[in-house]
Amino acid sequence: MAIDVHPHRTDEHRRAGSAPEPAPRPDRERSRRDRRQRRLHNPAGLAWSLLVPALIVVAVVSIFPIVYAVNLSVHSTHYLNIGAGVGFDNYARLFASPEGWAQIARSFAYVLISLAIVVPLSLGLAHLLNQPVKGRRVFRVLILLPWVISQTVAALLWKWLVNPDYGPLHSGDLKIDLLANPIGAMGVLIVVNVWISYPLATILSLAALQTIPAELREAAEVDGAGPFRRFLRVTLPLMKPTLFVVAIMLTLLYFNMVTLVYTLTGGGPLNGTNVLSLEAFKQSFQFFNVGVGAAYSVVLFVFNVIFGAAYIRLLRSEATND
Amino acid sequence: MTETIARVAPARVAPPRRRSRRGRVNPLTYVGLIAVSAFALLPILWGISTSFKSENAVLSDTGWIPRTFTLENYRLVLFQSKIPLYLLNTLIVAGLTVLCTIVVALFGAYAAARFRFRGRTTSLFLILMTSMIPGIAILVPLYFLAVKAGLYNSFAALVIVYTAWQIPTVIWMLKGFFESIPASLEEAGRVDGASHWRIMIQLIFPLATPGIAAASVIAFVYVWNDFLIASTMVSSDDLRLVSVGLYNFQSQYGVVWGQLMAAVVVTLIPIVLVFSVMERRIVAGLSAGATKG
Repeated sequence: MAIDVHPHRTDEHRRAGSAPEPAPRPDRERSRRDRRQRRLHNPAGLAWSLLVPALIVVAVVSIFPIVYAVNLSVHSTHYLNIGAGVGFDNYARLFASPEGWAQIARSFAYVLISLAIVVPLSLGLAHLLNQPVKGRRVFRVLILLPWVISQTVAALLWKWLVNPDYGPLHSGDLKIDLLANPIGAMGVLIVVNVWISYPLATILSLAALQTIPAELREAAEVDGAGPFRRFLRVTLPLMKPTLFVVAIMLTLLYFNMVTLVYTLTGGGPLNGTNVLSLEAFKQSFQFFNVGVGAAYSVVLFVFNVIFGAAYIRLLRSEATND
Repeated sequence: MTETIARVAPARVAPPRRRSRRGRVNPLTYVGLIAVSAFALLPILWGISTSFKSENAVLSDTGWIPRTFTLENYRLVLFQSKIPLYLLNTLIVAGLTVLCTIVVALFGAYAAARFRFRGRTTSLFLILMTSMIPGIAILVPLYFLAVKAGLYNSFAALVIVYTAWQIPTVIWMLKGFFESIPASLEEAGRVDGASHWRIMIQLIFPLATPGIAAASVIAFVYVWNDFLIASTMVSSDDLRLVSVGLYNFQSQYGVVWGQLMAAVVVTLIPIVLVFSVMERRIVAGLSAGATKG
C-alpha cells in the first residue's frame, strides 16, 4: 500500500497544487531542484524521530498482541491463567466439530450475500447521485447517513422495526417473528448489515465515478452506444479497480464483524447467525475459554491476511497498469 | 456536396441536445433516490416516532405519527438515567483519541510524505499492515496487557487502543494530503532561514487543516460508535461509553422501547449534526484514502 509505486506521481501532485507558474520550463527545473534539496536537507534522524511514536504505538497495541494471541492459542487456559502447551487442541475445537465448519460456512454466506447486494447497490446509487438532480446535497446526506450510525444503534433500531407485535411491519393477525427462526434472523442480519455498510461503498464508488471524464461517455454516445452499453463498455471497465478495492474492504469488514451480530441476534436462534467472528468473541469473553478464543482469533487473522494479500496485489497491478 | 452537409449537420445539432438532456434528469432517478432515502431513514424515523409515545401508546398506537406526543421518555433519559454521563465519557475519550491520533499521525505522515530515508518503506508498510489485523483477533491479548499494565478499567486503555487503531488510516490520509502541498513552500521557508520544526509546524501543518479536520471526524465517529473495545476494557458503570450503555439499557430495565428509542435519538443527534455539516469533507477524506493507489 505504502510502497512507492509512483515515484513521479508525487511530483505531479505537487505541480498540480502549486501556484500558477509563468512557464513550464522553470517549473520542471524547480521540481528537479527540490528533489535534490530534499535529499540534501533532510537528516534521516529527524524523519525517524517523527515516525517512531507511531511505530511504537502500533507495535505495542497491534503487532505484539497478535504474537501473544498465537502463543495463547496453543496453551490451555483457565480464566486468565495460562497453563501447559496443548498443541493444536484449541484449534480442534473449531476444525474437528461440525459446528465449527458451520460457523465458517455462515461467515462466508454472510459475507458473500452482503457483498452481492451492497456492491451493485452502491454502484447504482453512485450513478444516481452523480446526476445533476435537484436537492443533490440533501439526498447525499440522507443516503449516506447510516454511515455514522453505530452497529449497536443500528441493531436496536432494526430490532424494534421488525418487532412482530408492535412494529410497523406487522400486518393484522399474521405475525411473523423474523428473528425467531434461523433463516429469518440471518436475513434480517444481512439487511441491517447492508444498511450500515452501503454508504461507505457508495462514497468510494462515487469518487471513482467522478474521475471518469465525461468526454469518454459522450464519445461513446456519439458513436451510438445506448445507456446500458455505455455503462457496460465505458463505465464498468474504468470502475473495476475501485470496485475490487471496495469489495475487499467490505469483505474484511463483514468477516470481522462482531458488534452487529452480537447486539442484534447474539448468534441465535439455534446458532443460525453464529458466525466465526462472533464465536471468537463469545469463547473469550462469555465462556472465558481464552485459549479457544485465541485459536479462533488466529484463524480469523489468517483469513484476513489472505484477503489483505489479495488487496495489495490488486493495488500493485493497478499501479503498474496506469 | 449536399450529401456532406447532410451528414455533418446532425453532429452540429447534437451538442445542444446533449446539454439539454444533461440538465433534465430522468424521473426514474428521483424514484431511485427517494426509495433509497426511505430505506436509509425508515428505522430512524420509526425510532423517533416511538420516542415520543408514552409507555402504553408504544404498545397500542402502532402509527408512524404518535396520536399524542409526550416528552416523558426524553425527560427520563436526560435526567433519570446515566445516558448523559455515558455521553460525556464518550466525548472525553473520543476527544483525547482524536488529539493523540492527530499529533502522532501528523508527524508520521509528514515524515513519510517529505523525507526519503532508509527503512521508510518498511516502517510505513508495517504501520499500514496493522490496519489488516482485525480488532477481534487481538482483543484477548489487549485485555491481558491492560490488566497487567494496570490500565484495565480506565480511559487510558481505551484511548491508547483507539489511537493505535486509527493511526494507520489517518497517516495514510494525511500523507496524501501533504503530498499535494507543493514542496517549494518548504524551500522558501528554508531560504528564509526557518528550522525544520518551524517550517513543519508553522508553515505546513496549518495548510493541512482540511485534511486534519476530515481525519478527526473519521476518528471521532469511530470511537463514538465502537462497542468492542469499550465493552472489554472498562467494567465500571461510571466509565462506560455510550454504545455499551445503550446496549445495557435494554437489558437493565427489560425493554422499555420508548425510553430506549429516546436514548438512541439523544445519542444520534450530535453525530448526525457533525456528519451533516462535514459531509463533503468526510467524503473527500474517505475517498482520498481509498482511490490513491
